[in-house]
Amino acid sequence: MKQTHRWAVRGVVLVYLAILIGLPVVFLIVKAFQHGFGPFWSQITQPEALSALLLSVEVAAIAVPVNAIVGVGAAILIARHNFLGRRAFDTVFDIPVAVSPVILGVALVLAYSRIGWFGAPLARVGIMVLFSPLGITLATMAVSLPYVLRSIVPVLLEVGTEQEQAARTLGAGRLRSFFQVTLPSIRWAVMYGITLTIARTLGEFGAVLVVSGNISGKTQTLPIYIYDDWDQRFDVLGSYSDALILALMSVIVLGILAVLRKRERKLRVDLA
Amino acid sequence: MSISLKHLTKHYGTTHAVEDVSVEIAHNSLTAILGPSGSGKSTLLKLISGLESPDDGTVTIDGEDMTNIDPRHRDIGFCFQNYAPFRHMNVAKNVAFGLKVRKRSSSEIDTRVKELLALVRLEDKAKSFPSQLSGGERQRMALARALAIEPRVLLLDEPFGALDAVVRQELRQWVKELHAQMPVTTVLVTHDQQEAMEVADQLIVMRSGHVVQAGDPLALYESPATNFVHEFLGPSTMFLGEVTRPHDLELVSVYDGTAKGRITSIVSLGFEAQVTVELSDNTTTWVQLSRNELSKLGLRVALLVGVRRRADADF
Repeated sequence: MKQTHRWAVRGVVLVYLAILIGLPVVFLIVKAFQHGFGPFWSQITQPEALSALLLSVEVAAIAVPVNAIVGVGAAILIARHNFLGRRAFDTVFDIPVAVSPVILGVALVLAYSRIGWFGAPLARVGIMVLFSPLGITLATMAVSLPYVLRSIVPVLLEVGTEQEQAARTLGAGRLRSFFQVTLPSIRWAVMYGITLTIARTLGEFGAVLVVSGNISGKTQTLPIYIYDDWDQRFDVLGSYSDALILALMSVIVLGILAVLRKRERKLRVDLA
Repeated sequence: MSISLKHLTKHYGTTHAVEDVSVEIAHNSLTAILGPSGSGKSTLLKLISGLESPDDGTVTIDGEDMTNIDPRHRDIGFCFQNYAPFRHMNVAKNVAFGLKVRKRSSSEIDTRVKELLALVRLEDKAKSFPSQLSGGERQRMALARALAIEPRVLLLDEPFGALDAVVRQELRQWVKELHAQMPVTTVLVTHDQQEAMEVADQLIVMRSGHVVQAGDPLALYESPATNFVHEFLGPSTMFLGEVTRPHDLELVSVYDGTAKGRITSIVSLGFEAQVTVELSDNTTTWVQLSRNELSKLGLRVALLVGVRRRADADF
């Protein structure tokens, strides 16, 4: 009886996953290759598609390291220092996951448009934030801000401060203590956070769409290019093919994530 | 190096962790700070190390005012209660850490690490990680790491607290031998009076942030300044309104005692026995007897006996 019960639960979960994720992905693969490999290849190697892919990678190459450094710094502030407004500071980092990316995009437009608070002075010195890769990068950084921080803070709290204090009594300064004691003890959490940030960065659609102006070949990232194929150019094969490329990138990131999670679990066992 | 603490005070909010503590710790002594939990003993240790800074008072090491010196410049070896090993480094790297900070040559570091690992008997564990060590091994690694920097003062926070009884006993003995072999002014914190009496040559007894009494263990045991010290340092009982050691009392015939009473219980612990007597003034006291005395006296519950101080008792 118990056995059948367990199988029933598993069955329901599997059907649920199949309906939501499995079948759509299978259809995507089938559709992308419905006319064979040749048309698929020519779709993904179109100049606009390649430039969209390149822009997505470029944006990630800037947004991910910046958010990693900001995330580690902010995590240490939150977990290791007590200051006025720490709670508020902590909460600000949750805004990007709590509100819709579209809202973040609109807020960025308000701030950085040619008449916005920051946008006006920048426009005067010739820096255009909106409708440019700069704006796309800003929007992407905003939505992927909390992932590194949120991965690290619990680990920092769990590891505690004793190792850092020990390093201090042994004569280590702040920098040495950070690089040789603190960072190694949170390294898997940092990697995990970075991987999540990459995944979020590559997939971001809403906030980027609002600030990018959607200029083909100039301010189109891969997700926006895919949507355009689908919605504007009625090029279903193109959207299937590029969606598959984007999905493949995410699968690679997920694979890395799975390995890291395993490592982190091992680390936690070591800590116990 | 001698340590001199003057009027040290540390409050956490409304908690007076350490309150106006002034005490001298002699050069090359092995001193135990002894007290119940919450008496401020660990805070006092952190104040000496500089990991906490005092609200008031001064810390002087070997005549040098250290009160405002960062712990990294104090040349202090600190062993944490949970050893605080660097978990991502192997034993050799842990021990080498302080030497690398001091920019010693790698050949010098290698030799020194080998010496230290031999000293703490961990030669064959050099490549092991802390997670692969037993509690006692971690403790010894922490000691080697602290000793590597040739500290002026060695501070140990509850060094044997997390170990099982057998390892604990071994390690106590070993720390004492190590100290004799390599004298460095050592201060350890413990709540275990037996441990303190066994290891230390000087005691500092603390209670609610104050130092109650300091001195050599035997002197404190025999002439405790307060009832608290008396009770804390060993078995004690009340006899005729005074605190006394149960082994300083004896049982005699009803006519010979300074007080008389009825035996209410006899607990035999093998080599010794605890005999509880309800005295005629309705107070209760207990007397510690050797096994021989117990069998010679032929005691049993409900027997009327006399109680008095032993003639050789130190009063």
